[in-house]
Amino acid sequence: MRHATTLATFPYLAGTARALEAVPGAASEIRILAAGGQSGESIQQGYINPFTARTGIKVVREDITSTPLGKLRAMVESGRIDAVLLEIGGAGLAQAVALNLVQPLRWNEVEPAPMFPEARHSHGLGYQYYSLAPTWRSDAKAIADWRDFWDVQKFPGRRSLPDVPYLSLPIALLADGVAPQDLYPIDLNRAFASLARIKSHVAVWWASGAQAPQLMADNEVQYAAAFSGRVVGNPRYGTTFNQALLNLSYLVIPRGAADNHRIAANRLLREFTLPQNQAEAAKVVAYTGNSPALDELLPKDRLHQFPTTRENRARQVLPNDAYWQANALSVEKRWQQFKLGL
Amino acid sequence: MRGFADARNPTDAVPAPMPGPRLLPRLNGAGRWLPAGLGFVLPLLALMFVAFNLPMLGMLGRSVALPDFSFAHYAELIQSDIYVKVILSTVQIALIATLVCALLGYPLAYWMRGLSPGAQLAALAMIVIPFWVSVLIRTYAWIILLGNAGILNGTLRMLGLVDEPVLFLYNRVGVTIGIVNVLLPFLVLPLFASMVRLDERLLQAARSLGASEATAFWRVFFPLTVPALAAGSLLVFIMTLGFYVTPMILGGGRVPMLVNMLDLLVNGMPDWNLAAAISVFLLAVTLVLYALSRRLTGRATG
Repeated sequence: MRHATTLATFPYLAGTARALEAVPGAASEIRILAAGGQSGESIQQGYINPFTARTGIKVVREDITSTPLGKLRAMVESGRIDAVLLEIGGAGLAQAVALNLVQPLRWNEVEPAPMFPEARHSHGLGYQYYSLAPTWRSDAKAIADWRDFWDVQKFPGRRSLPDVPYLSLPIALLADGVAPQDLYPIDLNRAFASLARIKSHVAVWWASGAQAPQLMADNEVQYAAAFSGRVVGNPRYGTTFNQALLNLSYLVIPRGAADNHRIAANRLLREFTLPQNQAEAAKVVAYTGNSPALDELLPKDRLHQFPTTRENRARQVLPNDAYWQANALSVEKRWQQFKLGL
Repeated sequence: MRGFADARNPTDAVPAPMPGPRLLPRLNGAGRWLPAGLGFVLPLLALMFVAFNLPMLGMLGRSVALPDFSFAHYAELIQSDIYVKVILSTVQIALIATLVCALLGYPLAYWMRGLSPGAQLAALAMIVIPFWVSVLIRTYAWIILLGNAGILNGTLRMLGLVDEPVLFLYNRVGVTIGIVNVLLPFLVLPLFASMVRLDERLLQAARSLGASEATAFWRVFFPLTVPALAAGSLLVFIMTLGFYVTPMILGGGRVPMLVNMLDLLVNGMPDWNLAAAISVFLLAVTLVLYALSRRLTGRATG
């Protein structure tokens, strides 16, 4: 803990011509598989660059698809651990733990700075918060929450929702008037009944986060559930954090990773808990890190754009990953049945 | 048994192994039983075996492992209405795409047959050149053309033909258009080849015996091109079964197809055993259809 505090106080110590910090027993190069695009760039700028400057350890970053479980399973089962760190969503983390694909994090080796509690998972470090928010084209009537999203009389237009039950079922319940604290366990009958009401207005069930803003830009749909970082601050869209789903993306270490890679990875994980680094990352993409001390470091005029500021956080709903771990497969089947109209 | 075979076919007898290592098979004489040039294709065969055949055997194994031997995954595949429905939906789209390809491709090939050689070359080039453009780009191009704010809808509205944009995309229409665009050459090229080979004198004979142009076409020309049409159609059908990118982009999550379901099972769940069972099923269907297509092609060319 003491060590982390020192680094937090002098974040760019090693950036000057000082001696490199020694990390005993660490590999000289590690690989990380994480989301690409702006999010990947924010990892590079915010965390990898300061890490390499401080320790001299090289980090090779590679892009990964939105569902990395197949890749993770292939790595672990073949015993060839290509990458020591892997980015995975909350539901994916729950499944990876259930399938015994990831190793418990040694938090005593990570020595994190203070973090939000849900980001400190037994098997993963939650590094980036992102919101799935009610969003509209700026020339459509503004909506206040998912209830309005469902109200096609008052807010006419085509909709787009994620082709992901993990996201669309909580939205359907919130739209139906379920209070955030009563969401879990999911009342599947009620959720699917709510979805059935909006189904004929959903032009596209999107499969990747990039689709939602594009569909609105192309005027294919007027309202969409979109990831906040892709739409906030863009005059083409309006968006609100009311009832938005606050998601957390985790970094995990695959089971069977070599010791020297794990040691280096744990040192890199500490960088992900430092608020100064998180502020740098938030300059690249409007998603925020796990430090409760981050608000003060963010630009005041853009504070309303970030998912975890005190004001925005209170209006949102966190997922219950234990529920999804137990039910992901059966819910997915019912989801497919629903979409196919069985 | 061996001696009996040798006695009946002495020239096919297996030669005694040569002493010492032999890098290349003998191409003639006693080594005739080995295909010529085997040594040159051995590296490729080895690569295919390691990178393709072995994993496929692994997949077969996975489909009957629970992890102990069991047909439970096949039972789930058959009993679960989702997978059956997705398979049926895939087959339905494949049938529609094949029909559209045939209806568009046959007249196109027939028209090309009547062109001058130079014009034929130009027409062929126009069909083949899109092959060089990535499927992904061609598929996205349809969004620009067919979208609500797209070129076609803009034109229709400008001409006053429609008030509301026509929904071409994110449904079966869009997926079918995308698939037909990619697969049409696979039908047109073999069909055109078979039509060009067809002896013009057969038609002249029919006309001289009093058949009208239409009768000559339907009773002489068309039956002779049916094998090529059927073979090309089967090829289109088989390839549609394996489509992934097009339904993903143009289907809007509302047109379920088998390979997209496989993607979910492999990467999302990840339920590899069930995915293996579905893959084996798809492979079996494809092999049966391929065997059928080989028979038809054999008849078309033979």
